[in-house]
Amino acid sequence: MKEVIHQYGVELDWVAGLAEGIGGYVEDNYIRIEDEVQQGNRYVLPINDHLTAFIIDVTYRQDVVFKLRNTRSDFVGLYFNLSEGGAIHILNDVTRSAERWGYNLGIFDADLNGDFQVKSGSTTYMIAIFIKKTALKQYLSQIPQHQQIIESIFNPELNTIVRFDRMSNHAWWLINELRKVPPKGPLYDIFITGTVYGLIADYMDQIINQEIIIEQVLPEDLGNIVKSQAYLIAHLEEAFPGIHFLATEASMSETKYKKLFKKISGISPNSFFLSNKLGYAKEMLETGNFTIGEIADKFGFFDSSHLIEQFKQTYGVPPKEYLSQL
Amino acid sequence: MNLERIEFCYHYTLGPEWQQQIVDAIGATLTDNKILTMPENIAHGGSIFLEVTPGLSVLLLDMTFKVPVAITRIPTDHQYYMVYFDIGDEITTHIIGNAVHRAGYHAKLGMGFMDCNTKGIIMPPVEQRSYSLRLFIQKDYLKELAASTRDLETNNLLFDESKNTLFFYSHIDSRSKILLSQLKEIDFNAASFDLKLKSTALYLLGYLVERASRFEPIINKLSDHDIEQIFKTSEYLLANLLEEFPGLQKMAEMAEMSVSKYKGLFKKILKDSPNQFFLNEKLLLAQQLLHSGNFSSVQEIAYELGYTSPNYFAKVYKNMFDVLPGEVLKNQPQ
Repeated sequence: MKEVIHQYGVELDWVAGLAEGIGGYVEDNYIRIEDEVQQGNRYVLPINDHLTAFIIDVTYRQDVVFKLRNTRSDFVGLYFNLSEGGAIHILNDVTRSAERWGYNLGIFDADLNGDFQVKSGSTTYMIAIFIKKTALKQYLSQIPQHQQIIESIFNPELNTIVRFDRMSNHAWWLINELRKVPPKGPLYDIFITGTVYGLIADYMDQIINQEIIIEQVLPEDLGNIVKSQAYLIAHLEEAFPGIHFLATEASMSETKYKKLFKKISGISPNSFFLSNKLGYAKEMLETGNFTIGEIADKFGFFDSSHLIEQFKQTYGVPPKEYLSQL
Repeated sequence: MNLERIEFCYHYTLGPEWQQQIVDAIGATLTDNKILTMPENIAHGGSIFLEVTPGLSVLLLDMTFKVPVAITRIPTDHQYYMVYFDIGDEITTHIIGNAVHRAGYHAKLGMGFMDCNTKGIIMPPVEQRSYSLRLFIQKDYLKELAASTRDLETNNLLFDESKNTLFFYSHIDSRSKILLSQLKEIDFNAASFDLKLKSTALYLLGYLVERASRFEPIINKLSDHDIEQIFKTSEYLLANLLEEFPGLQKMAEMAEMSVSKYKGLFKKILKDSPNQFFLNEKLLLAQQLLHSGNFSSVQEIAYELGYTSPNYFAKVYKNMFDVLPGEVLKNQPQ
């Protein structure tokens, strides 16, 4: 297995080292690599003095372990990770799936040395946000519930910032919007910056609204809920399977299932199913290759009017008007 | 109630300085150099102003005026463009008694793009909430962004102020509308609000540049008089959606221009030919009427909109919305 020892930071002095480690070179903030080793893009965007974004969109052709060994300790990394095909994160000998269907959001203090391991053939789409601790402290102090504890959160003797979480459905769609943008030129920078602000805001909301911290949920229960989400996404073209079926599959009572699903996903199983249906329907519409009737049929809506009505309720405009005014 | 109109003048700046004028003119309160709160005797609500990136600032206004005011934005030679997004129903229907009154429809365009060297007067309605967002974009910055979407020569020509005026009005595009309606749900005071406003402003700018790159470049200078004349005719169309299209000849006469000049300027400003513009608006109104619950048959709506053949109406409607008006009507809750 190839081993890459590297570091991150808000300042860009780590970029050349990472490029060298993976056998590539830096060109205009892009890390380019020969296609035989990896395919795709790595792009670094400094947003301001306290914020830098790093976008990774690659398919791996070999097994690699990235060993993060920071020398700076003045920042926190927020990692929104949509990898598929076997990516794991190892911290203090504990291995966790760091994929779309695992802990797809990690928040780590620069002081922590974690390993990120990917398999040949897997794909990674990740947005990493490096933010100065001083700036993060500023953001979090806007949250009323945090004002009392903010000093201790950022006191290295009392606390290390580390959190394994699931990104919200909204964050997932934000990232999806960004993936549609061609990865070059000044417009790309604008959309990345917009996405990064949106993701930080969304995470702040998540902290405010989550009644419990995910780490306090039994790993087995979390795994079952995540599997349940994956099941719903894989069966978007069918009718909603019903709470009874889903709860049985997740080995929980219906009450516990509904409660946990809501806590982990932020929305009920039914809304999760419908909002993803509509999201995919919207994407199909944008391709221009399908009629509303065909799409309604594909995703099991009662008829076109039913899809039109739900679409309008969610997005504020009916689908055809959405298309005609794109 | 004091019905005398309060008048004041101001101009924007890319930085937060402009807000002081509002404080001085009408006694608004400025907090953290970004939130303006209106004095309660004039309006309820306020605005929030943020610098997003070098070259881009955003202003969000949410206020309900209690007395009539006339706000004049003075032209300046500052180097920025403004984009207006008015969020709200784009077609308002006033129903008097039980009858849908013929003169009661009014459509408006929710989005405008202009140079800060043009003058603007706003007389906001009293006792009605207005929610709008403005982007201020530095000229050089926009030129650089636009240059990534088209050939350099056309881009230089478009941004050459001695040859061309950048100016247009239209409906808000779908993607922007979704972002704005999401933003409208969020309280100004939420902890994450500033970040969401910045995120929205950046996406709106990105969408604007992408959309403008698909506009046919029409290079010419516009005088304030040209703009006024074109708006006179587009306003006429928007206020008479129930009639038949009056014909290009008559529209050009109304604008006191030749037909060819009229067609060119109309398309430059409103991004559609007068005929297509009128048809789109008519069908958007048709959609509104179908959902209003005030009509029991497609025939009634077709006649209301000035179509002599309900079948023809159904055909053009289906063409635009991909669904027959009869189906829409059938699915309305009674």
